[in-house]
Amino acid sequence: MGELGRIHQLVFPLFGHTAAINLEVVVMTWIVMAALIVFGYLSARKRDILPRPIQVVGELFVGQLYGLTEDALDKEGARTYGPLIVALFLFLLFSNWLGIIPHLEEPTKDLNTPLSLGLMGFAIAHYAGIRSKGFKAYASEYFAPIFFMMPLNVIGELAKIVSISFRLFGNIMGGSIIILVVSYLTYNLVLPPFLYAFFGLFVGTIQAFVFTMLTVVYISVQVK
Amino acid sequence: MGLGAVGAAIGEGYTAAQANLAVSRNSDISGDIFKNMLVGQAVAESASIFALVIAILLLFLDVPGVSYLKAAALFGAGICMGFGAIGSGIGSGFPGGQTCTGISRQPAVSSRLTTNMLIGSAVCQTPAIFSMVVALILMFMDFGQAPLQPTWAALVGAGLSTGLAAIGSGYGGGLAAGASCEGVARQPETTGQVTTTMLVGQAVAQTPSIFGLLVSFILLFRSFPESSSLAAAMALLAAGISTGFGGIGPGIGNGMAAEGGVRWVSRNVEKAGELMRIMLVGQAVSQSTAIYAMVVSLVLIFVV
Repeated sequence: MGELGRIHQLVFPLFGHTAAINLEVVVMTWIVMAALIVFGYLSARKRDILPRPIQVVGELFVGQLYGLTEDALDKEGARTYGPLIVALFLFLLFSNWLGIIPHLEEPTKDLNTPLSLGLMGFAIAHYAGIRSKGFKAYASEYFAPIFFMMPLNVIGELAKIVSISFRLFGNIMGGSIIILVVSYLTYNLVLPPFLYAFFGLFVGTIQAFVFTMLTVVYISVQVK
Repeated sequence: MGLGAVGAAIGEGYTAAQANLAVSRNSDISGDIFKNMLVGQAVAESASIFALVIAILLLFLDVPGVSYLKAAALFGAGICMGFGAIGSGIGSGFPGGQTCTGISRQPAVSSRLTTNMLIGSAVCQTPAIFSMVVALILMFMDFGQAPLQPTWAALVGAGLSTGLAAIGSGYGGGLAAGASCEGVARQPETTGQVTTTMLVGQAVAQTPSIFGLLVSFILLFRSFPESSSLAAAMALLAAGISTGFGGIGPGIGNGMAAEGGVRWVSRNVEKAGELMRIMLVGQAVSQSTAIYAMVVSLVLIFVV
C-alpha cells in the first residue's frame, strides 16, 4: 500500500503549487533541453555530402516534419512555421521518452508543461490568423453563422486549448500511474519493461506526433 | 468489470466475424489471418483487462475505516472503469476486423496493416486509460476530512462523467481506425497520409472524453462546503451525468466524420489537405454539443 500511496502525490501537484514538485519539473525540462541541444550540435557539427549516422537521423526528422507542415500549410507557411513545428515535436518526444530512464520523470506529466505549450500554439495560431486575414476578417469569423453565436464560438476556441493539453497530460500521467500500480501488483516482475515500452516509447511518440499535428492544423485553420 | 466485458466481447466478436469472412475469401493465407485476428483481439481485450485490474483491486483492497464516503468513491470507480471500457473494447475491434479483411485482400502489405492496426487501436484505448486514471484516483485518494453530504455526489459524478464520456470516444476512435486499415489495404502507398489523418481524427474524436476527464478532476479536487440540502448534491451528480451523456453522441459522431475523412483520403490522396480541413470543421460543429454539456456541468458545479 505504501507504494500505491504515492499516487496521489503524483496527482496532487495539479492544484497545490508546491515549489518542490515544480522544481523537479523544471529540472527535467532542462535535461530535455540539454539533450536537444546536444543532439542538434552533434547532428549539425560536421555536415557532409556523405552524412554520418546522427546527421541522417536529424535530417530525417526535419525532412519529414517539413513535409507534413507543407501538406497542411503551403511552402511559404512551411518556411515560417517549420522550425517551430520540428522543435515542438522533438521537445515533446524527448520529454515523453525521458520517463523510461530510472529516476527521471516526464516533464509532460505535470499539467503546466502541456498547458503552456497549448497556450503557445493557440497564441501563435491566432496571431497567424490575424496577420494573414487582417483583424476585421478574423473578428467577423466569430460571428460566423449568426451574431449571437459569438460566445459559443469563443468557448469552442478556448476548449481547443483544454483538449490539446489535457490529451497529452492524461495519456502520459495515465501511463505512469498504470505502470506504478501494475509494478506494485506484480512485485516488479516481468511486466513493467513491456509497459514502459508501450506507454513510454509507443504512446509517447504517438501523443507527441498528435500534439504537433494538431498545432499545425490549428494554424492552418486560422490562416485559410 | 461486467460492463467492461460487454464491450470487449462485442469488439472481439466483430474481429472474429471479419476474420471468418477473410478466410473464406482467401483461404490460402488463413494462418496469417488467424495470427492477426489473435493480435487484434488481444488489443481489444486490454480495455477489459484494465477493468479486471480495477475489479480485483476493488475486491481485495482492505479499506481502513470504511465510511460512506469511501463507499461512494469505490462505487464511482467501478462505474467509471466499467462504462469506460465499453467504448474502447468495441472500438478497437473495428481495426482488428478490417485488418483481417485487408490481409485477405492484399496479403503483401500485411505487416504494414498490422502496424497501422496497432497504432489505431492503441489510440482507441486512450478513453479507457482516462477512466482508469479517474478510477484509481477515486480508489486511493484520501477523502477523510471532506463533508459527506455533497461530496458523495461529487465522487459518483466524477466516475459517471469520465466513464460515460469514454463510451462515445472509444467507439468513434475505433470507426476511424477501422476505416484507415481498410484504406491501407486498398491503397498501400497512401499509408503515411492515411495514418496521419486517422491520428488527427481520433484525437479530435477523443475531445469529449477529455471534457469528461476535466469535469471529473474538478469534481474530485474541489472542496465543497457542507450542506444538508439535496439540491447541492444533486447538482454535482447531474454535472457528471451531463458531461458524461453529452459526450457519447459527439464522440461517435466525430468518429464517423473521421471515418469518412480517412476513407476518402485513401481513395483520393491528392486532396488529403482539403479533406482533413473539411473533416475538422465538421467535427468542430458536431463537438459543440459536448461543449454545451460541459458548460452546463461547469455552471452546475460553480454556480448552483
